[in-house]
Amino acid sequence: MFPPSLPAVAPGELVNVKVPMKEPTIISFMTHRRDFVAGMRAMAPWLIGVAPFGLVIGVSAAQADIPTLAGWLTGPLIYAGSAQVATIQMLDAGAAPYAVIVTALVINLRLVLYSGAMATYWRGTPMWWRLLGGYLLIDPSFAVGVERYGQESDRRRGHAHYLGAAVVLWVTWIAVIAVGATAGAQLPQWLRLEFLIPLFLIGEIVPKLRQVATRRAVLVAAAVAVACLSVPMHLGIAIGIVAGIAAGVAAATGIGRPAASPDAVSTEEGHR
Amino acid sequence: MNAWTVVLAAGFGSYLFRMSMIGAADRIRLPPRLDDSAALVAPAAFAALAVTSIAGSVLGSSMPQALAPLAAAVVAVLAVMRTGSSYAAVLAGMPTLWILTLHTSA
Repeated sequence: MFPPSLPAVAPGELVNVKVPMKEPTIISFMTHRRDFVAGMRAMAPWLIGVAPFGLVIGVSAAQADIPTLAGWLTGPLIYAGSAQVATIQMLDAGAAPYAVIVTALVINLRLVLYSGAMATYWRGTPMWWRLLGGYLLIDPSFAVGVERYGQESDRRRGHAHYLGAAVVLWVTWIAVIAVGATAGAQLPQWLRLEFLIPLFLIGEIVPKLRQVATRRAVLVAAAVAVACLSVPMHLGIAIGIVAGIAAGVAAATGIGRPAASPDAVSTEEGHR
Repeated sequence: MNAWTVVLAAGFGSYLFRMSMIGAADRIRLPPRLDDSAALVAPAAFAALAVTSIAGSVLGSSMPQALAPLAAAVVAVLAVMRTGSSYAAVLAGMPTLWILTLHTSA
C-alpha cells in the first residue's frame, strides 16, 4: 500500500519524487585518514595554549573544598574551561548550587552560537554524528573546524578534519586535568596555586584589550563584578558577564557614542 | 544539591546548548548582532572571574598580606602588556605573590 502523502499521478506523467536514500558513510577512516591526521596537526598550536589552563583547573579541583573526582568530571561533562573554573571556584566558595549552574550556563551561552554556525555544515548528517560532534564542540575545535569547512568542498573530508582536531583536543584536555588533579593534591599550600587561575585569565584578557569593544566588555564586566561582590549566591559574576557583553555590543554598534565619521567605522585600534 | 549534581546539571545544560542549533539547522538563522556578541562572552567572563577571585584573596587577608595578591595581579597585567605573551602573567605574577607573601608575613 502506498503512503497517503504520495500524490495521484496519471500514467506516463513525469513526477519528481524524492526517494529517501540511505546516507552515505559519513567518514571512512581508511579513506579520510589523512584528513583526520591533518585535523590533529591543526589542533597542535591550540594544545600548547590550553594545556596549562587544563593543568590549572586540575590543580584547583584538587585544592578546592569539593571531591577531586567531581572537579575532574567538569572536564568530560562541562568541557569548557571558563565554565569549569567558575563551577569549581563557586562550589569551593560555598555558592548556592543554582547560582553555580546558572553562571556556568551563562558563560557557555556562546556554545549556542557555535552550534548555529556548525549546523550549516552538518545538515543531512546522521544523528550519531551530530551527537558526537556537538559534544566535542568548544572554542578550539570550532575554530579549527570552521576554517577547514570553509576551504573544503567535500564535507566528509571536513568532518574527518574536525573529528581529528576535536578528539585530540578532548583527550589532551581530560588528561591534563587529571595530571593537575593528581599532582595538585600533593603540592604545599604555601604555593597558593589557586591564584594561577586569575593570573592565567589576566594573561588571556590583556592581549585582547586592543579592540575597543572587547576592552569595554572587559572593563565593565570587571567593574560590575567587583561592585556586585556582596550580591548573594555569587550572582555578581553572572551579572558582570552580562553587563560586560552588553557594554561591548554597545561599543561595537556605536550606541552611546557621538556619530563617527564615515571612515571611522572599525572598532579596531591600531596594532602595536 | 551537592557538588556532583551541580556538575552533572551544568554539563547537561552545556550539552543542550551545543545541540540546540545543530538539531534545528534548517529552520533557524541567527541575527548578525548575536554573532558579534559571541566573541565578547569569553573576555567578559574571564574578567568577571579574575577580579572576583583576586578580590576574594584580598578581602580574605589582613592588611599587609592583602597587598600580595593585588600587587601580583598588577605585575601580571604589566608583564603581559610589556611582553605580549599570555604566559608572562603567570611567570611574573606567581613569584611576585610568593615574595610579597613571604615578606609581609615575616
